[in-house]
Amino acid sequence: MGKPHPLLHTGGLPVQALRAQFPVLAQRIHGQPLAYLDNAATTHMPLAVQEALRRFEQHDRANIHRGVHTLSQRATDAFEDARATLKRFIGAGAEHELVFTSGTTEALNLVAHGLWAAGPGQAWLRPGDRIIVSGLEHHANLVPWQQAARMSGAELVILKPDAEGCLHAKDLAPLLTPRTRVLALTACANATGERPPYEALLAMARRAGALTVLDAAQSVGHAMLGLSALTCDFMAFSGHKMYGPMGTGALAGKREALQLLHPLRLGGDMVEWVSYTCAGYAPLPARLEGGTPNVAGAVGLAAAARFIDGVGRAAIDQHVQALRAQAVAGLSALDGITVLAPHAAQASLVSFVARDVHPHDIGTLLDERGIAVRTGHHCAQPLLEHLGLGPTTRASFALYNSHEEVERLIDGVARSLELMR
Amino acid sequence: MNSAENDLYQEVVLEHKRAPRNFGHLPAPTHQAHGTNPSCGDRIAVELWLEEGRVQDIRFTGQGCAICMASTSMMTEAVKGRDLAAAQALQQHFRAVLTGEEAPEDAPLGKLVSLAGVRQYPSRIKCALLGWHALMHAIAENSPQEARP
Repeated sequence: MGKPHPLLHTGGLPVQALRAQFPVLAQRIHGQPLAYLDNAATTHMPLAVQEALRRFEQHDRANIHRGVHTLSQRATDAFEDARATLKRFIGAGAEHELVFTSGTTEALNLVAHGLWAAGPGQAWLRPGDRIIVSGLEHHANLVPWQQAARMSGAELVILKPDAEGCLHAKDLAPLLTPRTRVLALTACANATGERPPYEALLAMARRAGALTVLDAAQSVGHAMLGLSALTCDFMAFSGHKMYGPMGTGALAGKREALQLLHPLRLGGDMVEWVSYTCAGYAPLPARLEGGTPNVAGAVGLAAAARFIDGVGRAAIDQHVQALRAQAVAGLSALDGITVLAPHAAQASLVSFVARDVHPHDIGTLLDERGIAVRTGHHCAQPLLEHLGLGPTTRASFALYNSHEEVERLIDGVARSLELMR
Repeated sequence: MNSAENDLYQEVVLEHKRAPRNFGHLPAPTHQAHGTNPSCGDRIAVELWLEEGRVQDIRFTGQGCAICMASTSMMTEAVKGRDLAAAQALQQHFRAVLTGEEAPEDAPLGKLVSLAGVRQYPSRIKCALLGWHALMHAIAENSPQEARP
């Protein structure tokens, strides 16, 4: 597997002990030890999270709210405790609320839909308003805004990155008009690892009178400013990218901003009273949580937050950033490999293209060696087109990955190039 | 050597990937269409000169993985000069082999049998069929003016 890389700083993370918390990792794929490097798509769940899910399902499962029996009360308490844990985890203050969703996609849809769905004359978005979305976004933070613009008569404007895929405050300034009502932006681009100066961009947009929307799907499990320290009206994230259950996530935000949203789901649990002809909606957060939520998922998501804080976000970041640096150095040394956003040292992923070799072929050949990576456009097709690139291969790291796995990645890519060219 | 290197990326496949046949444009296609793979955005466009119910000539353009490029390249060789019924029958056999409905040794695939290994890689079947989708769409077009965007 070669000598340890000179950029290698193992930090203090007890990787082998941590791996024991993730039983799924201890398997062979095509006869080789699994090297799971697809964490930007989905991370795995530690035993602590699985145990929290199991405990809830075996002891406390019941529908929440309004039940007078003991299990319903326990389930309600577990759900609300999970909410409180996650609010602390993201650094929310008294002015914030957190709404559980099925993930980042639903959270972003809840915002975009909520700003037009009240209808003409009622909705926050009016004809002639401006919505600005960055050009780095996952389709989940673009397509809902395309629909919001269509439905409200607002115009959608893209804050385009430069040729290296970087966003600049100087490019946002001229786009901010008095009619700008929304800026939607990622904290870390899932396709490249680029980390835009989102703190400054959100603050500029707010000064111009816009609501600010931050997609934190790739960032929430890492060191980042608390929500209270950001000029951020809405922040969306997923559980399954932070060692939590799939189908979980949240929309957190300023109460006064959440209050503007027309609910995405109407029905039970989100109403104060109902007659045959109309209904009064409940206050936050219930107002935006119609229907029976994924209570076990919320409990598991809170357990994931506690797990991350237990390990320590700074230690996790130091580890995954060292893995990324090792991968960038090793892959860049291969003939005809171009790493996207090589400067994005804070990222926990590396995305690259290879001259004359397609990512799908690299992905299949790596899988044969037990190495799981993601290939394709990573739901960021406009960005890759803007950068003049097609699909990429993306390896993404979590706290349980090792420098040896990164060496295997580099060796596997080198062999793929040799075979395919 | 592992099995993808043996089964999926046979030398004839890699050779077509490196030097695709009938790559480029026809001077005056009578029919054309393209196919897109939604997972990677890859796009293959096929141009045909159809006359008297026969594929008189064929070209393709686009970018794709080795499986996609080799499959489309071999497809152009296999259907050139054949009548439409034969091209359609070949597409059906090829598709049936990839989806496991027909054994490779029972299908009249010729050189295309080198891609039969794709059936072991379900996520790659759409790569192998991309050019064929474009071909079938192109044949279904009545005139170039109605070519799909």
